[in-house]
Amino acid sequence: MEKNVNYDPSFAQEVFENVDAGEEIKMCMNCGVCAGSCPLRFNMDYPPRQIFQMIRLGKREEVLNAKSIMLCTSCYTCKVRCPRSIPVIDVMHGLAHYAIKQGILTRRDTANFGREFWNQVYRLGRIDEKDLPRRVFFAAGFIEGIKSTLKYLDMGLKLLLHRRMKLLPERKIKGIQSLRKMLDKAEKMGKGGAAA
Amino acid sequence: MAEVETTNQSILVVGGGMSGITAALEAAEAGHNVVLVEKNPYLGGRVTQLYQYFPKLCPPNCGLEINFRRMKLNPKIRFFTMAEVTGISGQEGDYDVTVKLAPRYVNEKCTCCGKCAEVCESEIDNPFNFGMDKIKAAYLPHEFAFPMRYVLDPTISGTEEGKKCKEACEYDAVDLEMKETTFDLKVGAIVWAAGWDPYDASRVEYYGFGEYKNVITNVMMERLASPNGPTGGKILRPSDGKEPKNVAFIQCAGSRDENHLPYCSGICCLASMKHSTYLREQYPDCDVTIFFIDIRALDRLEDFYTKVQGDEKLSFIKSKIANISEDEETGDLLLEGENTNTGEQIRTSFDLVVLATGMVPNKIEIEPSPDVSYDEYGFFAYDPEKTGIYGAGCVRRPTDVASCVQDATGAALKAIQSIARR
Ligand SMILES: Cc1cc2nc3c(=O)[nH]c(=O)nc-3n(C[C@H](O)[C@H](O)[C@H](O)COP(=O)(O)OP(=O)(O)OC[C@H]3O[C@@H](n4cnc5c(N)ncnc54)[C@H](O)[C@@H]3O)c2cc1C
Ligand code: SF4
Ligand code: SF4
Ligand code: SF4
Ligand code: SF4
Repeated sequence: MEKNVNYDPSFAQEVFENVDAGEEIKMCMNCGVCAGSCPLRFNMDYPPRQIFQMIRLGKREEVLNAKSIMLCTSCYTCKVRCPRSIPVIDVMHGLAHYAIKQGILTRRDTANFGREFWNQVYRLGRIDEKDLPRRVFFAAGFIEGIKSTLKYLDMGLKLLLHRRMKLLPERKIKGIQSLRKMLDKAEKMGKGGAAA
Repeated sequence: MAEVETTNQSILVVGGGMSGITAALEAAEAGHNVVLVEKNPYLGGRVTQLYQYFPKLCPPNCGLEINFRRMKLNPKIRFFTMAEVTGISGQEGDYDVTVKLAPRYVNEKCTCCGKCAEVCESEIDNPFNFGMDKIKAAYLPHEFAFPMRYVLDPTISGTEEGKKCKEACEYDAVDLEMKETTFDLKVGAIVWAAGWDPYDASRVEYYGFGEYKNVITNVMMERLASPNGPTGGKILRPSDGKEPKNVAFIQCAGSRDENHLPYCSGICCLASMKHSTYLREQYPDCDVTIFFIDIRALDRLEDFYTKVQGDEKLSFIKSKIANISEDEETGDLLLEGENTNTGEQIRTSFDLVVLATGMVPNKIEIEPSPDVSYDEYGFFAYDPEKTGIYGAGCVRRPTDVASCVQDATGAALKAIQSIARR
């Protein structure tokens, strides 16, 4: 990153006001622990600290289009280690959510997966290990769907073998209505929802 | 055993480090009777374990010697080692204090001839060297110990080994009958100068201290560099005794971290820079890297920072290291983190890693505790409403010796005022 920069607080302000957990980054002291411990750091265009720094620099487009905000796997390492107790993961998710709401779909597949995941939890109260991938794979078209299915065939068979996946469709959980109430509320609060 | 006559005109100082010694001397030289109580078998506190002082790089013993001489010359100071305060009651101008003395099993007749240690076969972990070596269970805590007197470890006092030590002593200095004793004091004011303990580095799990042999702490580095340390002053890797060629320092290891000590420990940046000079003195070709969040070398100490920057084989990298892993075969350590200046990922191996751990203040651990104020981190806070007991030195804030000495002088004055108010 360049050394002499002009700080433009307007995007930071936008993040503080609109992004879930966005205000937390005010506490970031730029130490790099999150960026150095994230297991996906070598796949990320900008690891968490750099995202926060770019927010402060006002780099709106770069941040909202960053692959990394969509890559986070919720492993929690960053949140556990951050010396300032910043829930880095929540900010990353908040940003991804916000970017999608702005119509920015940097990783369409991740966004699709998130939407299908949410929908399925809403419908069944659980994840159907056959149905979810099927929907995600075929969202990109029939040919793509077949290709992806073949690619993951091996994993599917192993899941079957270890009884992590059933052949019959999964049934709804008991008390699905109460779960839906919670999910509705979460969606209203802007946390999750079929948009993500 | 202890005959101590004190009145409510006397001052109690708890802790015989630089802060406590200073407070005691200043108050005594202003004409007050002072009782100094120290937990260790020797005075001087943590600085006795340092090799050199920053910024001048002089040995701490010079300064200590001068103070010990001042103490010997001043009849108004009584001091007790292996002593702890177990009770404080009353209020400003009128405190009742109970002091517990642990048995040393060696009396004042000891000439430090060392015969007892010669015949003693049992060994204990050497607390002075943070357990990096062993000493005989009849021992002199360190070569400049004041008072200069041996100690018999309680593990041998009641054994055959203890008897052997007693028989070996030609001066009738070993007294196996010594028991724990307590005595009471009346004092008008108290200075609490119990100093600090190093933060337990093993709690920062991802640095592997305690698991990886070549990850050490800054206080261990002081002992490794000291001529009276476990390696005779040679800085060597603990795993194989090899000379280090590539050393890393990790700053803020457990400080400025809400999962550990939330505050800045104040001196560890300077300590690591000082340690780089220790390494340079012994190994002209050794590479040294200091990984930091930001360097805190305040006011006059910035000159030291500027000075060490002239060392071409010393580099400063802005990064809080996020992980250490060990190569089991070589004992080398892989450090990972992000260089926050360039955004590059760091994956670099070192053969020795020093954690710049911070200071934890020693609060008053007495039940019931007297009424004093602490800040949110456990340091003594000055509260004008609560007079009579005053913190001095590192119990008030983590800092260097020069600032402790100033602070302790102030605490002595406050204690004198408490007495004058009566
Ligand atoms: C790695 C490292 C390097 C350092 N290097 C330097 C340097 O180069 N220059 C510099 O100026 N500063 C240095 N410092 C800081 C220096 O060590 C402190 O400023 C100094 O020790 C503070 O003195 P003190 O008397 O307040 O505390 P201490 O030195 O901790 O003394 C407190 C005394 O109280 C005793 N005590 C504790 N509890 C009780 C109790 N309950 N009852 C009775 N007695 C008790 C202890 O045994 C001890 O003797 C360094 C610190 C570290 C961590
Ligand atoms: S670990 Fe916390 S303080 Fe450090 S850079 Fe990441 S978010 Fe900021
Ligand atoms: S929670 Fe996300 S951002 Fe944090 S370390 Fe894990 S993958 Fe990286
Ligand atoms: S206790 Fe006796 S034998 Fe041991 S050092 Fe002292 S004088 Fe010598
Ligand atoms: S003095 Fe330096 S190493 Fe120590 S806590 Fe402060 S910034 Fe960190």
